[in-house]
Amino acid sequence: MARSKTGKTGLIFFPAFDWAISPTHPEREERLLYTRDQIFEEGLMDLPQIEEYKPRLAEMKDVARVHFCVPDVEAQVTEAHLIAAGSTLTLADAMEKGEIRNGFALVRPPGHHSMRVVHGNRGFCNVNNMAIMVEYLRTKYGHKRIAIVDTDVHHGDGSQDIFWHDPNVLFISFHQDGRTLYPGSGFTNEMGGPQALARTLNVPLPPGTTDEGIHYVLDELVLPILKDFQPDLVLNSAGQDNHYTDPLANMRFSAQGYALLNEKLSPDLCVLEGGYAIESALPYVNTGIIQAMAGLDYSHVREPDFVPGRFVQSQEMTREIEGTVQHLQEIWEERDALVEGALAELGDFYRRRKRIFYDTDMINESQEEAVRICPDCAGYMTIASSAQRGYGILNSAYCVSLPRGACSSCREDAREEYEEHVGDRKFGYVYLQDKDRDTFRSFNNMTRTQKNY
Amino acid sequence: MLVGIDVGGTTTDAVIVEGGRVLKTAYVPTDHENLMNCMLRALDDLVKGIDTSRIERVVLSTTIITNMIAEGKTDPVALLLIPGPGANPKDYSLGENVWVLDGAIDFRGRETEGLKEDRVVEVASGLAAKGFRKIAIVGKFGQRNHAHELKAGEIVSGALPGAEVELGHRVSGQLNFPRRAATTALTVATKEQYRRFTDHMAKALKERGIRAPVYILKADGGTLPLDKSVEMPVETIFSGPAASIMGVMALSPAGQTSVIIDIGGTTTDLALILSGKPLLASKGAKVGDLLTHVRAFAVRSLAIGGDSAVRIADGHLAVGPHRVGPALCMGGPGATPTDAMRVLGMTKIGDEAKAEEAMRGVASILGTTPRDAAQKVIETVVDRIVSEIRAMFHEWEQEPAYRIWEIMKKEKLQAQNVVGVGGGAPPLVPLVAEKMGARAIVPEHAPVANAIGAAVARPTMTLNLHIDTERDEYIVAEEGLVGKVGDRKMTPEKAEQLARKLLLERAAHLGIIDYADEAQVTYSEVFNMVRGWSTAGRLLDVRMEIPAGILPEWRA
Repeated sequence: MARSKTGKTGLIFFPAFDWAISPTHPEREERLLYTRDQIFEEGLMDLPQIEEYKPRLAEMKDVARVHFCVPDVEAQVTEAHLIAAGSTLTLADAMEKGEIRNGFALVRPPGHHSMRVVHGNRGFCNVNNMAIMVEYLRTKYGHKRIAIVDTDVHHGDGSQDIFWHDPNVLFISFHQDGRTLYPGSGFTNEMGGPQALARTLNVPLPPGTTDEGIHYVLDELVLPILKDFQPDLVLNSAGQDNHYTDPLANMRFSAQGYALLNEKLSPDLCVLEGGYAIESALPYVNTGIIQAMAGLDYSHVREPDFVPGRFVQSQEMTREIEGTVQHLQEIWEERDALVEGALAELGDFYRRRKRIFYDTDMINESQEEAVRICPDCAGYMTIASSAQRGYGILNSAYCVSLPRGACSSCREDAREEYEEHVGDRKFGYVYLQDKDRDTFRSFNNMTRTQKNY
Repeated sequence: MLVGIDVGGTTTDAVIVEGGRVLKTAYVPTDHENLMNCMLRALDDLVKGIDTSRIERVVLSTTIITNMIAEGKTDPVALLLIPGPGANPKDYSLGENVWVLDGAIDFRGRETEGLKEDRVVEVASGLAAKGFRKIAIVGKFGQRNHAHELKAGEIVSGALPGAEVELGHRVSGQLNFPRRAATTALTVATKEQYRRFTDHMAKALKERGIRAPVYILKADGGTLPLDKSVEMPVETIFSGPAASIMGVMALSPAGQTSVIIDIGGTTTDLALILSGKPLLASKGAKVGDLLTHVRAFAVRSLAIGGDSAVRIADGHLAVGPHRVGPALCMGGPGATPTDAMRVLGMTKIGDEAKAEEAMRGVASILGTTPRDAAQKVIETVVDRIVSEIRAMFHEWEQEPAYRIWEIMKKEKLQAQNVVGVGGGAPPLVPLVAEKMGARAIVPEHAPVANAIGAAVARPTMTLNLHIDTERDEYIVAEEGLVGKVGDRKMTPEKAEQLARKLLLERAAHLGIIDYADEAQVTYSEVFNMVRGWSTAGRLLDVRMEIPAGILPEWRA
């Protein structure tokens, strides 16, 4: 990570003051209002270290590069989603052009609970802003190795799902233990697909974890692993709900803790995820993060009710965190052997079944996923997905994905898979996502119409 | 009869306007050492033989504050900040004389830390010892709750009898603490000298038997009665560009999108009128090194003009940014765009043979004819201006927006007109317009456009109303006004009604009540505050403005 660190910090502030999931939902117009008041009053946008950008709309293709949206991208995104996703792309371009050295997309709606297949909204997310930015950066600028550190209090299960099989994307999420919080996943045994074992790392933390515990994870686990992995880019899914006042979670992280985390992690690009203590946390946490990114003094940032030493972690909690970190260190050390062992036991395909619940839209989805274990490339993937709402079938889809650098045999087979399911009335929609050629098509088996992105 | 006087860099111009016509003009060379005197001389020339009792209004556009700041002649100010938590005040470039007080107000206007009065007393006695007589006190979120500023002001006034104390919330109700601090400091730094100017001016006009109301032109193209302008002297900065933009508004088709080009000797100023509305600097003017809250038109200056030096660097033609002297054809030392224009017959000023000689020098290095060299010089100038205009439109398009509809609706605008003012404009404007695909306009009265702008500009004013129904409070910071709302579910319509009522009061105080009908709501937002799963109150913000405009007497 010997990146040059000069230049400005790019900032896109898009609070979507005219968008809400519903009037009293945590993801409502008011969420970033006090953050606006604070960062505007601080005059942060005027500082020579900071450059404010206007967001653009992401294109449908940018979404299709990541997601299988059922029935189509247009049905799953609103303008707000395209602007939030587009913000990350605007900053990615600015960074690649050398206009900025790092950037923060302080935008809503969030994205990290959106998985590869999208039937609706889950965990306040429709499409995954971070993943859309990652795939854009790889396609347009040819980045190979990318690390995502998800610091939201909830497990980043959407990002995990999208990069599960990808050994070139390191995904580390620390979060409140899934036994005590939505989405109920993110345990240490969730480590990625057979070809990418240990490139997904989950750090479940006990409720009540303080600055001390989170910085222990950062110092002892996250930073050393990043050093080993040597990514081209470090990206941060910057949720702010580990804060001690967050109404939806139970952690005890502070604004100072967040700013220091950002300084140590030194991410190239940050994307806001959750955080719902809109008055007591967000104005201060965001000010601190922006200052840390811009190399400004954040030592004066403090929540009105915070006194240093307010939260002390019990020894038992400290031991639990140390145990988890040690366990994950061992997994990381054995990563190559783990992959070798897993592949040795597999035949031509790796298969898994999944059930996914969309809490916001009350949808139950079941998936059968298959990845070809190919000696010449990352192998194509198929997902047969069926979604139910109540007792009725909502939609069913057959999704085929070709990786970057796909070999000709995978390309042929993937094409066959797609053609076979065109006209197959078991599925409403068939998709072919060709990441190698950056073309995306879908077929509606009911209307017999094709669509290309 | 409307009188306008504009102090420019080289001349001070004066006009009398009546019934949509320019009746008379006068000008004198600007004496930067005595602006007052040269304004009066221009006025005396103007009204010679005119019945002064027929004058209905006099508007002055003066560089007095601009010069005071540029020349460092403002009074020393002690800036007392109450920053609370957040940025380190040292990260703002607010100068050396800054003292930090303890206390904090949050974004909702709640006190989160009491003001430490001992500390204020200690700072005040230090200021007394150092001899400070002008004090600015500015608190973060002081516009949402000014209790700390008031208390600190009281203590400081007590410790420094007779000192001038300016409080941040009275200067601006908008978000941006460092800008508010800078604007407040500049206000108190210029107030006394400015008051001296207005007193003298009022007296001098009285001596001349002019009893018409006297106004001063502000940076936002609006006028303000001279006696009221002492409350906000900094707003009179940059009145020159404001006057020229108002002049163009008066002299070009209404409601269209125009680029205004003011080509001078060494600089060219650009401004935009978008669909009939002059574009304002989005957050406020930059005054010297300081970012302020002063509402001002967005003006872009480029260092290129009729007298810019023409050079050849590495085989490439370059014009500006320096001026070595006048054009060769005017007796100067070297080639300039003016010489090029003379050679091409675009102007009749200066000596033709000298101009030819200037271009021959350039041509010999470029290996071409003098005429071709002149063409290249003009092309270079025009290209620079056009690319700056495009950059200005682009910057406007790229202004951040925080709502979906703002991002979706922002249209692309094309310039319909390119309007030239200033000495260098007439020959170059058609070329710029051609490149932009727009119509070239050089108004008949272009040389005195600024003075006309001053003469016909109408008053402007702004009112910022903030309402927090959960706290049952409304605030107009600049007025120091706090009231009770008594309606937890206040609608935006009700809030706008309240804003209109308060605007009428403020307009009456400022002596511009006749124009209050022109007031528009330029910004209105409402947020439901949801706590738990129910609505606890509403936050509303309304901004009402009497925008820049032309007096109806002119259009009539």
